[in-house]
Amino acid sequence: MINHSLSMPDTPLDASTPDGYRLISIGQYAHILIEKQAIIRNTWLLILLFCASVITLGSGTMAISPKEVVAVLFGQGNTMSQFIVQDIRFPRLMAAIYTGAAFSLAGCLMQTMARNRLATPGIIGIDNAAMAFAVSSVVGMGISLAPSFMALAGAATATALAFGLAGGSGTRGYRFIVAGIGIGAIAGSVTQLLLSQVSIDVANSAYPWTVGSLSARDPFMVNVLGIGIAICVIGCLLFSTQFALLPFSDQVITGLGANIKHIRIIALILCITLTGLAVAVAGPVGLVALVGPEIARVLSRYRGIPLISSALTGALVMMLSDLFGRTVLSPIELPVGIVTAVVGGPYLIWILVRRSSRSSL
Amino acid sequence: MLSWFIKTPAQRPLFYVLVSALLVLALCCLLSLLFGAGGLTPQASLQTLLGNGTADDEFTVFHLRSTRTLIGLFVGLTLGIAGALMQAVARNPLAEPGLLGVSAGSSFAVAMALVMGASTATLTVGIAQLGALIGCICVLGAARMQGQHNDPIRLVLAGAALSSLLLAMTSLILLFDQRAADEIRFWVTGSVAGRDTNTLMSVLPSMLVAVACILYSAKPLASLALGERVAIGLGHKPRRIRGVIIVAVALLVGGATAIAGPVAFIGLVVPFAARALVGPDIRRTLWLCLPLGPIIVITADIISRLVAQPAEMPLGVLTAIVGAPVLLLIVRSRRLPTL
Repeated sequence: MINHSLSMPDTPLDASTPDGYRLISIGQYAHILIEKQAIIRNTWLLILLFCASVITLGSGTMAISPKEVVAVLFGQGNTMSQFIVQDIRFPRLMAAIYTGAAFSLAGCLMQTMARNRLATPGIIGIDNAAMAFAVSSVVGMGISLAPSFMALAGAATATALAFGLAGGSGTRGYRFIVAGIGIGAIAGSVTQLLLSQVSIDVANSAYPWTVGSLSARDPFMVNVLGIGIAICVIGCLLFSTQFALLPFSDQVITGLGANIKHIRIIALILCITLTGLAVAVAGPVGLVALVGPEIARVLSRYRGIPLISSALTGALVMMLSDLFGRTVLSPIELPVGIVTAVVGGPYLIWILVRRSSRSSL
Repeated sequence: MLSWFIKTPAQRPLFYVLVSALLVLALCCLLSLLFGAGGLTPQASLQTLLGNGTADDEFTVFHLRSTRTLIGLFVGLTLGIAGALMQAVARNPLAEPGLLGVSAGSSFAVAMALVMGASTATLTVGIAQLGALIGCICVLGAARMQGQHNDPIRLVLAGAALSSLLLAMTSLILLFDQRAADEIRFWVTGSVAGRDTNTLMSVLPSMLVAVACILYSAKPLASLALGERVAIGLGHKPRRIRGVIIVAVALLVGGATAIAGPVAFIGLVVPFAARALVGPDIRRTLWLCLPLGPIIVITADIISRLVAQPAEMPLGVLTAIVGAPVLLLIVRSRRLPTL
């Protein structure tokens, strides 16, 4: 989704629409350029997501055939499978889709902004800080609603610290990441400290926050996350023109007449909102943010910034990881955070180890 | 005395710095015996030390607190030295056993052993050391493969990736075994409280091996700091030196981890402080790391006893809170020093 918003105001806009793109205008000022290929790609991803959802809804301790699942989704099917699919598996599926999409979209934004594919919220400590704040509210207040909003506050604090300490991002991307690792270490140890101070019951109630799991999530938070994602996706689309400038150097962006500080702040706000809300639902599952955008980038052949595709691939990865953790060793259930860490860890090392000129964005 | 501040760190006489550090260490040990989370006041502890205390007080001071101090001493010593060695081998001021996944490798091995049927009491130190060795080789191997000796920060990233992978696998293992999870829950935060002197005794033989390794390779290591080619030109074998040092680091970190659990950032802070005091020569910094490591660990331990009275704060938490700012400080310095 690359836009040429730099056309003179009096030129007709459709004249500046490049080949292979479609312009959607909302009112007089909001113009969104959409790559036609991206539409096709995202449609395929949606179809894939739907198929995977049907499989996920059908598998578990009581297997339900895909046909039956589709019937239930359209309001038919027997009562038993209706209950299992609609009341038990569907909320969990939605939690997986929402959190996966949120983490992955935030990862894509952060990577683009820091011009470094290692700069994902999980690695620079946003997850950890959100978790530390959430745990502190569980431990300190014992209110079930507060953790989510504390998680947002934690995410914002960590990001501000990482950016402040690294002295702005941009060319010194790696420095920014290591600053984030330090912050993440502090936040992680604060979580440990809080958990070691309280009684075992409170520690157990705070435990789900620390591993990253999708089982029995708070439906209210899942809905809040869903709304948050919808708003953030619209935000991403509206600012996609500006975000498309981010891969260039600071001088080029300034030369093209954009305000780099504003772009960064908008991207950061979106990142923080998405990560904070997602951590509030699922705990730190940050490695999805590393894998999702990468797949999307491969699918889009490295053209532009695949924001929407990232969200879709992230949802897909999260859903499949959860399915894997749920079924492969049943009746033991692996938390999705551990599945993604075991898959994403080697991938992360591979990025670091391979010799490639493309190793930073 | 004024000449101390005029001279650059590398010109300061090592002897005086070392003696003053040892004095500080002695003070720390004394304070560690005097202060505690329990009801025993410092005055009463002092009386007990002088020989006129009750049996209860004597038990607290001579048994509980002295054991703890001894273990703090040992952990600080090993982790400080291991950090200095690792930084010299990787030629990287950020190389730290905890950050690079060596401690995580050790924890993984210990968790593995617990699941296989060992208990924390019968746990052999060798397992932790083997895990540390594997962690060491993995991360330095990854850095070598990329040829990234000159990019200190990427080594840390590789280490962070390895750590997170190993931690995930550790928690994966613990999911299957509730008993192991219960046993390891307090061990993983890292602490010197309530540990056994028997483990300390069983670690000592391997420490002798580590000391021998260090004595063998201290001088070649100093020449390695001048660059691989210079080292070869001076008649040393860089590859062999690295191998020996990695074994020594694994023995030291594995030993410390087996006793106290993973304690991060000591290996970062201690050599950092030592370099600031006596300059970058490894033969000088190693000496200074000997007292500095225990000073930091014992001080952190005293603080961890006092801040959260009557409960205690895990040592690993405190070292992370102290150490992470040092990491940020090193990273933020305008020109990242390469060793």
